Amino acid sequence: MDKHYCICIGRKFCSGGRNVAAIVAEKLGIKVYDRDLLKKAAQNTGFSEKFFDEADEEKTRKGLRSLFMNHLGTNGLSNNYLSNESIFNMQSEAIRKIHETEDCVFIGRCADYVLRDSDRLLNVFIAADVDDRVARVIRHAGESMTQSKALSLIEDIDRKRSSYYNYFTGRTWGDTAVYDICLNSTTLGYDKCADIIVSLAKEKLGI
Amino acid sequence: MSELKTPQELGTEKIGKLLIRYAVPAMIAMLASSLYNIVDRAFIGHGVGSMALSGLAVTFPLMNLSAALGSMVGVGSGTMISLKLGQKDHKSAQMLLGNSVTLNVLIGVLFGVFSLLFINPILRVFGATDVTIGYAREYMTIILAGNAFTHLYLGINCILRSAGHPNKAMIATIGTVLLNTFLDYLFIMVFHWGIKGAAIATVISQVLAFIWQCFQLSDKSELIHLQRGTYRLRGDLVRNIITIGLSPCLMNVAACFVVLLINRGLLKYGSDVAIGAYSIVNSIGFLIVMMVMGFNQAMQPIAGYNYGARQFKRVLKVLYLTMFFGTIVTTLGFAIAEFLPGMCIRIFTDDPELTGIAMVGMRLTFVVFPLVGSQMVTGNFFQSIGMPGKSILMSLSRQLLLLIPFLLILPRYYGINGIWYSMPVSDFLSVILGVSLLIPQVRKLKKQA
Repeated sequence: MDKHYCICIGRKFCSGGRNVAAIVAEKLGIKVYDRDLLKKAAQNTGFSEKFFDEADEEKTRKGLRSLFMNHLGTNGLSNNYLSNESIFNMQSEAIRKIHETEDCVFIGRCADYVLRDSDRLLNVFIAADVDDRVARVIRHAGESMTQSKALSLIEDIDRKRSSYYNYFTGRTWGDTAVYDICLNSTTLGYDKCADIIVSLAKEKLGI
Repeated sequence: MSELKTPQELGTEKIGKLLIRYAVPAMIAMLASSLYNIVDRAFIGHGVGSMALSGLAVTFPLMNLSAALGSMVGVGSGTMISLKLGQKDHKSAQMLLGNSVTLNVLIGVLFGVFSLLFINPILRVFGATDVTIGYAREYMTIILAGNAFTHLYLGINCILRSAGHPNKAMIATIGTVLLNTFLDYLFIMVFHWGIKGAAIATVISQVLAFIWQCFQLSDKSELIHLQRGTYRLRGDLVRNIITIGLSPCLMNVAACFVVLLINRGLLKYGSDVAIGAYSIVNSIGFLIVMMVMGFNQAMQPIAGYNYGARQFKRVLKVLYLTMFFGTIVTTLGFAIAEFLPGMCIRIFTDDPELTGIAMVGMRLTFVVFPLVGSQMVTGNFFQSIGMPGKSILMSLSRQLLLLIPFLLILPRYYGINGIWYSMPVSDFLSVILGVSLLIPQVRKLKKQA
């Protein structure tokens, strides 16, 4: 059995995944790793954080452009350490290291796939109703955000997260079969979501 | 190849030492593949005749097209496999290996059959005439029949490299070259099979290399090995392989198009013999370019790692050093082409007409070669510091964007020489482009260093 447990939370954009994660972490007295992961990875490798940021899950280039930019000129013969693939590998190494040293909650970044062989992993997905998510986007962004702009932002980021996850893991992002439990934060509310996750974690992870 | 641990030495060891250590294996592989071209052409030129050499040259665009499809599967699955191995996801890596084998067979057979069905019109489009089409068809029929093996051999070599066996990949490459040389000699010089002999030699050496690779990959204790149940194509894997492999594939298709333009131009303003002359000039140029590529490949990890670690002084140092070596190589090529062209051409032919045309072509094509070395290094440098956009612009400009208009315009005024002119002219313009992109970048790096 692994020394430390972890809870991996996947989430649709603006579904309150981070809020739920924060409540869960507080109840269990553990840390949440979100973008901090990138910082950790950067420290481990001596690389600038900028590169991890550029290759992060919501920044992957889309469509035709991504084909040309990411792989044109690569010939499979040598590695320059700055490709998305090697950045992903360094980040994964950081995830494994954290998992070895402490109990924690990971948000996104394919942590569930990276740690798939762990026997103390709870894999959660958080979604919410679209109206609710649109309202959240507008609340965060302020007056300038319109209903339709918010909607297309949501679609765009979800698509990016999905293609990032699917590319690196070979699994399907948001597919119920991937997760131990999928929760809707609109119908349940953040606290109830967190309660369910915590009690499930206690039961399943032997806390 | 994505190694999990970034080797510390890249950030600390002396740059010159690193560059040489990384360059030697890369150069050997590159030299082997360009020697393969030279050997084949030399045996055909001397053993069969100068028209056979032109017949062979007519098939290059088709061979390029086949290589384009091969590189798509090879690079795509190689990249995916090294990603999966980095994640210790051996099951997926295994599936990718199986899928890439199936894809190679499928694409190899389909391409072979399709090209065989339309072999005559295809060769005509590529510049075959009544004189050369016989040779071209004789050669291509056998090559296409073995096309699936060519794809398998090249594809698995890519995978061997990504799976942490670059040495095995190198052995396969060198073994194929040696075997091909021996068989070329046997079939052409001893058995007098003509151009057919060269094709049979190629196919046999690739089939044998493939069998050897299969032995290497059937060891069950290896991280990835050939395994039953992995060959059924999986949509998501195929999609990923093609997505990654499409760009190198398109680059090769572009190369095919340029060769086609050159061949047709040489035929229109010159003769069949000129096409043969181009194939001689081209194989010498290829040899030099490949040696620079060897240095480029060595520069990639060193520049990339140090750029990531923000050690800009070391980045600049490796850039300068690679440019220096690249320039030495291309200058050497220039000197040989300008002062000793006869010696190079004699490797391929004794025919006085062919020698005459090739001599002119060689002298004109290599005129600005001393500058080309740094241009190639610059393009690759952008790639290695994570700016693929500029890198693509540079390699496309030299080989495509600037070359094509000149290939179409210059011959109208200068005849066949116009075709030879267009190469140094586009080389020169792309050097200017390279310098103007590089200078601001170097300034930025210096400021940060």
